[in-house]
Amino acid sequence: MPVTQKLSEVVNEIEGTIRNRFSDRTFWIKAEIADVKKYADKRWCFLKFIEKSGAMVTAEIKGVFWSGTYNNITNFEKATQQTFNSGLEITCNVAVRFHKRYGLTLEVLEIDFAYAIGKLEMERKQTIERLINEQIVVQDAVTGQFYSFNNRLGLPTVIQRIALITAPDSDGQRDFQKVIRNNKYGYAFSVTEFLTQIQGDEAGKLISNKLKAIDPGKFDIVAIVRGGGSDTDFKAFNDFDLVKCVATFPIPVLTGIGHDRNTSITDLVARQNRTPTETATFIIDHNLNFDNEIEEFKERLSRAVDSCLDHAKKDLENYRQRIKNLSPATILKKGFAIVMMDGKIIIDPKKIPGNATISTLLKDEIIHSQVTKKTTDGTGFDIQ
Amino acid sequence: MEQGLTYSNAFTELQKLVRQIENEDIQLDTLAEKVHEANELIKHCESQLRSIEGDVRDQQNGAA
Repeated sequence: MPVTQKLSEVVNEIEGTIRNRFSDRTFWIKAEIADVKKYADKRWCFLKFIEKSGAMVTAEIKGVFWSGTYNNITNFEKATQQTFNSGLEITCNVAVRFHKRYGLTLEVLEIDFAYAIGKLEMERKQTIERLINEQIVVQDAVTGQFYSFNNRLGLPTVIQRIALITAPDSDGQRDFQKVIRNNKYGYAFSVTEFLTQIQGDEAGKLISNKLKAIDPGKFDIVAIVRGGGSDTDFKAFNDFDLVKCVATFPIPVLTGIGHDRNTSITDLVARQNRTPTETATFIIDHNLNFDNEIEEFKERLSRAVDSCLDHAKKDLENYRQRIKNLSPATILKKGFAIVMMDGKIIIDPKKIPGNATISTLLKDEIIHSQVTKKTTDGTGFDIQ
Repeated sequence: MEQGLTYSNAFTELQKLVRQIENEDIQLDTLAEKVHEANELIKHCESQLRSIEGDVRDQQNGAA
């Protein structure tokens, strides 16, 4: 019968050994995190650190944030604009702890944000380079602006049929719909929702799938919105496949994915507004522009018609005056006379015989007389 | 007025008519006809802007 020890004695010895060896040391490690469980109310977070060789996990250990360092997680999310979640690779400072009941754990003391940000920026840069290499986007050498097939598409004259990609029962969905429905100009819109999860690792793929399910012939534009002022987790919008899908989509894509400080690559290849509300307002303003142009043409039409009629009236008056100037009454007033014989106006004097009785019409009277003599010098008259 | 008339076609046509009238390129006896045509285009655009099949405001009272 072997001599046994109490479990606590062995565990105590392990604890003592570990404390002696590790209590005054900390380590900077770079590792992937998995099984992240956050307890925001208690400000605890449990997770696993893993290292992989290919698909195989070659090292694994439990990790923990206690309330004293929990704000590292919130700060990390703010700084990197991504959710602290399984699958991330982080660089952090850890201490080795042993608990008699819960065993060996690495307690996280600090996360190195710079590493995480640098890694994100590197990924972003690589994605942009790939988009340029594959001729999906072009960068303007002078302005630095990115151009894609999609963001160079002209917007339709009026936007009314909207395909809305958003998360179900979300702030973004509500904000967008509210602005569209309550527009004060009474513009009509038909909004078809394509609901999907819009955050997290799978989001890029899920959003691409929704986009592919949209029949471009049935809509004027696509709006992708995400709201609530959430700063974190727009990594999905830097996903190469999603960006490619948006950049090459045959009708204009408008984004409002709610972040102020950074622009996702999806925003770069589409038309960006900051929030769902701003995207909806942009659409209403676009229609308002058209409405204003119609209003302007209405006024121009009315002015043009007035001017047309005015000119016609003036022309008419002009002709009336000319006709009046040429009338016999006007001529008589100017001192000319009309010679008549046998009730007819005589134009050719040869038709008047030597002894004819003629009537001479002057301004107010008719003079009847007998011709006594006719002469001519053959040169006609020169009346000044 | 043609039902399937697009905004941009209606607008181009309206611009053309208004310019003709402004330039007095038209006979007085066709003025009334042209003005009527322009007014119909304006009415078409204004009413289309405010009514569309499947309007979100109609759905508010329905199941959606």
